[in-house]
Amino acid sequence: MIYYLLLPVFSLLLLTIQITVFDILFFGKAGLEISLILVVYAGFHLSLARGGILSFVLGFFLDCITGVMPGFFVFNYMLIFLISKAVSLKVYGGGIIFTAGFTFICALLGKLLIALMYEVLYGISVFYDVLNVSFLQAVVTGVSAPAFFALFYRLEGLLNVWESRSPDQL
Amino acid sequence: MTSPKRYYTVIAALVLVVVVSLTIFSLNFKSPGKAGFFKKIVLEMAAPLNYAVNLAFSSIGGAWKRYVMLVGLEKENRELNARVVSLTRDVNDYREISLEYARLKKLMNIKGGSGFPTVVARVVGRNRLSVFRTVLIDKGTADGIEPGFPVITAEGVAGKIMEVSWNASKVLLLVDYNSNIDALVQRNRCQGVLRGRGGSWCELKYVQRSEDVEEGDVVISSGLAGVFPKGLVLGKVAAVDKEEAGLFQRIRVSPAVDITKVEEALVILKRTGEDR
Repeated sequence: MIYYLLLPVFSLLLLTIQITVFDILFFGKAGLEISLILVVYAGFHLSLARGGILSFVLGFFLDCITGVMPGFFVFNYMLIFLISKAVSLKVYGGGIIFTAGFTFICALLGKLLIALMYEVLYGISVFYDVLNVSFLQAVVTGVSAPAFFALFYRLEGLLNVWESRSPDQL
Repeated sequence: MTSPKRYYTVIAALVLVVVVSLTIFSLNFKSPGKAGFFKKIVLEMAAPLNYAVNLAFSSIGGAWKRYVMLVGLEKENRELNARVVSLTRDVNDYREISLEYARLKKLMNIKGGSGFPTVVARVVGRNRLSVFRTVLIDKGTADGIEPGFPVITAEGVAGKIMEVSWNASKVLLLVDYNSNIDALVQRNRCQGVLRGRGGSWCELKYVQRSEDVEEGDVVISSGLAGVFPKGLVLGKVAAVDKEEAGLFQRIRVSPAVDITKVEEALVILKRTGEDR
């Protein structure tokens, strides 16, 4: 229960930090999509219900704050979550290289999805522009993913301990 | 070993996601610009949170920026001094032109300014890393803002209001792929559509190859589509390419407003179709 209560607050805080703090520190030149790393992490470590709701909330908030195509981030994040979930059923996702590589692919997939939507919905070809802007961002996101996986793993542990001590579990 | 049942669950969830997303897409395409209740709530919560975090980190960010920028400061200082001399001369010229214009305008009995009320808004959130180019401002319907209102700065047009909640609004910047503004080249009045190209630049489309457009030409709003008042500065022509085959030339435009540095903006309270 605590998980679902904390989820909106935590998601909004995470997105605020992602949008504001990294923007100040890197002058908007380098990017780190922590929300995407969290979605991939959820695919490998959380249940379908918990991870699905987390991905939906993160996507919905991002849609509200920065999105131009309504519903795009919800679709994108939930798709990435489900792909991660499907992969996690077959592959052990604990290795550093695998984590970095898989998150990089997911980050790139999200950007390609945007380009595809522009092509389909508006007839504008933006593949080159999107790749030009987002490739470095996808690399940074992929490289930093293992560190964030370790952080999220610790946070999940803390949350589990908290939940096990809460009255509704007794 | 993984049971097939779990695969079926994932596939069922995937189908559900596609259906839900398509529903959200279609609902929003039916009523663009209207933020739903939950969206308004998120915007209301996000704007002050962004502002608070911005405030807390801006001093750290300032010190960090000063430290990083120190390296090129001396060279930049010399360049700026030279630029000040050149700009002072320009200011004098423009002051003369402005005085002459004011006299002529008085004679013609034309009302000055845009003729529309404006609201000053602070930029409280921006995501420069996203492919979508939007910023969040701290004014909403409570201040009379509606979707479609133009957003400008001292340098020129920044974008237009996309979604509004009670005390916050999302601004679609002119560099976003979804931004299309009817524009004119100031020098020769040739018309085109300024479309955002992501990153930090735009493209002036549908300008005939025969038109004489040069690097450095100022691009202004034509006022034809009814959203932006006529004559607002949009940007400067950065490159012209006539090499490609086709009816039109490829004109790259650098926006007048550096969207990465906008802190305050002016929202013109002008509904689509309203004239001066």
